Amino acid sequence: MKSASSISLTRRSLLTGAASAALLPLVGMPKASFAQENVVKVGFLAPLTGPVAAWGKPGLDGCKIWADWVNEAGGIEIGGKPYKVELASYDDEDDAGKARTGATQLIRENDVKFIMMLGGNSWPGVEEIAARQGMMVSTLLPSDLTPDTTTLIAPCEVHPIYNVTGVDWLAANHPDLKTAVVCAQDDALGKPSVATYLAAFEAAGITMASPPLFFDPATTDFAPVMTQLLANNPDILCLDTCYADYVQPLCEQAFQQGYKGKIISCTLDFYQRIVERTSKEFMEGVIFQFPDFDDKALNDPRINFKKPNEFFAEYVKRYGATEWSAVSWEYSSILDLWADAAQRAGSVEPADVLVAMKEGGKGKHAFGDARWWGKELFGIDNALVGDWPVVVIRDGKATIAEFRSIPDWWDKNGQLLVKHMTDLGQMWNQRT
Amino acid sequence: MPEKTSIGGAGLIGILILAVVLIAVPHLVSFSQQELLVLLTINVLVVVSYRLQTLTGEWSLAHVVMMGAGAYGSALFAKSFGFPVPLAMIAGAITAGLIATLLSFPLFRMKGFYFLIGSFAAGEILRLIWKRFTDPFGGPKGIQRIPGFPEIDLGFIHIDFYDPANYYYLVLVVVLVSLWVLYRVEKSRIGLTFHAIHWQDKLSESVGVDAFRYRMLAFVIASFFAGLAGALYAHYLSTVNPNQFDVNTMVYVLIWTIVGGTSRWYGPILGVVALTIVDEVILRSIGVDQVRPLLYGLILILAILFLPNGLESLVIKARDALRGRGGANVPNGEAVARK
Repeated sequence: MKSASSISLTRRSLLTGAASAALLPLVGMPKASFAQENVVKVGFLAPLTGPVAAWGKPGLDGCKIWADWVNEAGGIEIGGKPYKVELASYDDEDDAGKARTGATQLIRENDVKFIMMLGGNSWPGVEEIAARQGMMVSTLLPSDLTPDTTTLIAPCEVHPIYNVTGVDWLAANHPDLKTAVVCAQDDALGKPSVATYLAAFEAAGITMASPPLFFDPATTDFAPVMTQLLANNPDILCLDTCYADYVQPLCEQAFQQGYKGKIISCTLDFYQRIVERTSKEFMEGVIFQFPDFDDKALNDPRINFKKPNEFFAEYVKRYGATEWSAVSWEYSSILDLWADAAQRAGSVEPADVLVAMKEGGKGKHAFGDARWWGKELFGIDNALVGDWPVVVIRDGKATIAEFRSIPDWWDKNGQLLVKHMTDLGQMWNQRT
Repeated sequence: MPEKTSIGGAGLIGILILAVVLIAVPHLVSFSQQELLVLLTINVLVVVSYRLQTLTGEWSLAHVVMMGAGAYGSALFAKSFGFPVPLAMIAGAITAGLIATLLSFPLFRMKGFYFLIGSFAAGEILRLIWKRFTDPFGGPKGIQRIPGFPEIDLGFIHIDFYDPANYYYLVLVVVLVSLWVLYRVEKSRIGLTFHAIHWQDKLSESVGVDAFRYRMLAFVIASFFAGLAGALYAHYLSTVNPNQFDVNTMVYVLIWTIVGGTSRWYGPILGVVALTIVDEVILRSIGVDQVRPLLYGLILILAILFLPNGLESLVIKARDALRGRGGANVPNGEAVARK
């Protein structure tokens, strides 16, 4: 046997070692102790790179925490047997072609029993394969729902309908604000959101100072956009559901152009960076819809998301506080719903889990008990809707101001939303 | 030096091997790789048709938009006007060709860099029209639920073209026929005139060549085949939207073409095949999804640094080396005679 001192590191051995290490993932590591266990795989099909990655990757990071916690606790018990949960992910780059390839890999090669997607541009590529394979798929964008998409559910984020809660809260707490402007990227995410804000402003008695401003998604210079928005001195500046890459420069431009009114936005991802680039004073009172999960309001007994404060702490520990985004918790909350339904169904098969999930027309949404809804807007009751938090920046920190009910708003103002959705061609039966 | 056009015995064996590989490949790869194979084969037509256009010396940034014109055209012909899908595909390709004809009049008043910028602007106008007009183009969400290629049921054989392996064979036939047409165009007098305009446009014009007409012809032919590729794409994915044909996608086409090389017809094919395998198969399989753009960029930089003439230069060097070795094996008398 060679003594330790006689082992020398040559260029050849270094290269061999490096090559072996690089090839390990290809040839596969021996599966240590889970070989005999039941394993259920869940697919994650969302953009992990590219301009929309902010609504994919943080979600995958959150799911990893969820899976680790569940598996450390012995897995989920289904039909009397413990199941370890494994995640299989595929970067669809927000593209239908890549999403189709990814769905094929997840369903036919990885044998997943459920797929979580961001939805939007990527969903049409998956629609037929999901229907043919009977695969249950979740989306964050219920505008993907139609009467034909029976295996597609929107169990967490009923985008953009929850935006009405922010406007509703704003009108109740700042009745002096009477005019608003709204801008959005001209795409499938921006338009339905604009329709929702227009309905919410109209319901709140707030008038539009100028028509909605749609900018091209390729826009990089937001100075003229902001100049045009501020031309009529609006009381409220609404940033709609702009991507993270747009919200930051838009806020910076509003700050640089001396805007003094109120800002409302759907998301404010990585808001700490915006506070750093503007000021605490400027960002004070900005309203959006996605809380940090260290918020004590999330410890309310009606909240169904498990251990939100611990989840946030673990997320920050693993990935850093500035990596927290709107979707960091969302896919995990969908996994909660799925696991609960699978346990009740006593099966991991998609059809059984879907039936269990929608049983009684009610479900346990992250922010409280909710109902399956959506027929009037999407042609199918596959969106889980209930309360949603209104989040306000206070002293540079996102804080939940109040939970407001989406169904209550809908019951009073549903026709307004249908009207604006129709005007912008966003109803399910208007889609080509 | 002109390319050799006749095919020898070794060439025939090579073609035979390639044919066997192309036929067998869907059965040798995974399900998801079959999906990739379809998209890759469509992209081969995109880059080869793009190269035809570059023969006249003009690099367009509207090629992917022309692909989109074919995709939108075919989708609308099939969905809104009830055309049978195969006919809709041809109609979509013709639509792309017609749009290219119209765009030629303003675009070919420009040359070089100005043409590049002009083509970008023209492409963006077309793309923004699709985005602006929800009826009939579907706006930002595009057109969805586009009918797929019809199934063939002859009783004893049933072919469902939703199956990627079956669609691959359909695409392969269309692409091979298209490549043959493009090859013949390049080798014809028309193709030689394209080259002449590229290298000596004033001289060509002085001997009576109508450079505008030939540039237009190259643009229209390239756009027709890009449109055909778009039609194949639309009926496979059942969806088209304006973002699929944006400048980012065009940048990929440029990268594939440049990395592959443009002096030989097979250069862009090498580029698209090699880079797709690197990006979609190798980098994904080693579990580096989130750093793929970084690694892809690194590979591109290395390719440009060490292979400035593209991947095709490797083939040329390999062929020259083989010929050199072949020369060493010739009988002594012949070798002496050559000396």
